[in-house]
Amino acid sequence: MSINSATSDDDTPDGDDESGGGPGEVEARVGLRYTLKQVRQDTTARIGTYIVGFITFVAAFAAFDYYVLDYAIAEALLYNPEADPQNVRRLLPPVGLENQFGQGVIEHPLGTDHRGRDILSRTIYGTRIAMTVGFLATAIGLGGGTVIGAVSGYYGGWIDDVLQRVTETIYAIPFLVLVIAFMTAFGRDLTFAMIGVGITAVPVFNRLIRSRVVSIREEDYVEAARAAGVKDRNIIFRHIIPNSFAPVLVQATLQVGVSILIVAGLSFLGFGAQPPTPSWGQMLSASRGYMLPAPTFSIFPGIAILITVIGFNILGDGLQDALDPRINN
Amino acid sequence: MSLLRYTLRRIAQAIPVLIGIVTITFFLANQIPGDPVDIMLGPTPAQEQVEAIRAQYGLDRPIHERYLTYLAGVATGDLGLSIYYDRPVLEMILLRLPVTLLLMLSAFAFAIVTAIPLGVISAKRRNEPADHVSRIVSLIGVSTPSFWIGLVLIIVFAFHLGWFPARGLVLPWENPADVRGAATQFEVIRQSVHHLFLPMIGLGTLQMAQITRIERSSMVDSLQGEYVKLARAYGVPESTIVRKHAFQVAQLPVITIIGLGLSTALGGAVLTETVFEIQGMGRLIITAINNQDYQLIMGTTLVFGFVYVIGVIITDITYSYLDPRVTYGDD
Repeated sequence: MSINSATSDDDTPDGDDESGGGPGEVEARVGLRYTLKQVRQDTTARIGTYIVGFITFVAAFAAFDYYVLDYAIAEALLYNPEADPQNVRRLLPPVGLENQFGQGVIEHPLGTDHRGRDILSRTIYGTRIAMTVGFLATAIGLGGGTVIGAVSGYYGGWIDDVLQRVTETIYAIPFLVLVIAFMTAFGRDLTFAMIGVGITAVPVFNRLIRSRVVSIREEDYVEAARAAGVKDRNIIFRHIIPNSFAPVLVQATLQVGVSILIVAGLSFLGFGAQPPTPSWGQMLSASRGYMLPAPTFSIFPGIAILITVIGFNILGDGLQDALDPRINN
Repeated sequence: MSLLRYTLRRIAQAIPVLIGIVTITFFLANQIPGDPVDIMLGPTPAQEQVEAIRAQYGLDRPIHERYLTYLAGVATGDLGLSIYYDRPVLEMILLRLPVTLLLMLSAFAFAIVTAIPLGVISAKRRNEPADHVSRIVSLIGVSTPSFWIGLVLIIVFAFHLGWFPARGLVLPWENPADVRGAATQFEVIRQSVHHLFLPMIGLGTLQMAQITRIERSSMVDSLQGEYVKLARAYGVPESTIVRKHAFQVAQLPVITIIGLGLSTALGGAVLTETVFEIQGMGRLIITAINNQDYQLIMGTTLVFGFVYVIGVIITDITYSYLDPRVTYGDD
């Protein structure tokens, strides 16, 4: 389902296949239905889909609980001491270490943090933030990169030169440093982290789209469309971009993972989600003071990041194999 | 075109990018809310005092004038004065930059030394258990945040096993008199390696994983090349084919990925320096931001950019030096 949300924009011109010189195999390799069919046949892509699907489910659960039920499920399943400050038990270890001898058997399967908050429920809530940030930052990068890359590649000339020099310059500042500088200038919260990370992804998509556009621009069916008087804008958005569907989908999937990693790093440095918002990076940052008495506090949020990013990386790799015409028979 | 001319042209091409970096940095820093002078002088400073400081740091002039002055300053190596440290920005950076470069170089050395054998073995034994292990290791490597690896390494190897120190860094060129427990330069170097070990792995793991992935796919391609088939047909031993024929060609994409990895590694250095409390460029930029030290924020950001651009030029030149097909022609 996460695939749908990431690609629904590109999905609409699915029926463009017949606009090509003929209903050839390559033209059929665009669109959502084809993608889903390929994903079902590719083991790697399927494993990636399961992991991403699971993470999305957890994020949806947290969002539902947060927006609709006001922490009701989390509190019922995983005791939430914030609601009961009298009963704060600090730094309980996870079940299996010493926790089973106390009262926290079911209440704190992964133990508690330095304020007595349940680590499992905070990790679950962190999923919501990570997924939102990952998808929105990628969407910003994808949107910006597509427009700049398409215009740049289609028109060429001085427009191309100017746009490419600008994105090159953005790319020339190490992206974590650029986002930190950007957030210092505009704001330290999660919104600017998302925009900042999105901006650093613009050159990635720009490069991808531009190279596709330059190669597709000379294809017969684009020439034919131009000769038939189709507007430039329509040629770009109805013919060229849909034809770049597969590589863009792969890149976007990988970029979600990268964005989650960068935002976790930013939160770790104190940029991004601010306390008490439960984000993984910020949990890890808080855990630094307790690495000796409570090492597990530093472990679980990191494992959550690892599983999520691995999911997107496996899915991206799988999609690449599934959609690569050279690999398919 | 000779290699020297190619190098010079590559440097000339970088100049607009460097000016671009200065421009972006300058205008971002000028967006920073809050007045640095207020932070320096406290809540109720005297008016004359404020004006004197403003004039001293050039904050009373219009923005375009300040931009041009700054640009001219950068060209002559003058990055202004750090308000927080009350010292020239360049001096602070030159003090910290070697620390970060040492960290980066060791991380890349670790990455290259481990990744290339892993990638080659993976490609040679494609779809065998060794390949699966290497692919899983590299998949985990590209998916793990470097700062978390640092935390886990500290917990295991510093706190529990006590093999390595958890924080700080001794520079190998420090004077033995300034380093505790070191009588000779050799002792200083030994301590330096000891301190560097965990941060090096923390920062280098991502690069290691990325290089392994590229090395593998590049070697797989290269081992299927026509010249390899020909060599096999002539009865050249497989080990010679791998070592002499396939390997060298396969290194070109690896060099490209190392160049691109510099950006991630420079960002990763900020995180690694935070985890291990190392006083390098990364800590310097965070200190600068926390104290709203304009000039220092600009200086550190653009030096990060410059280091990256120079690194990319070096990898480009290495690439063209190693690739017999590159003719240094116009592109």
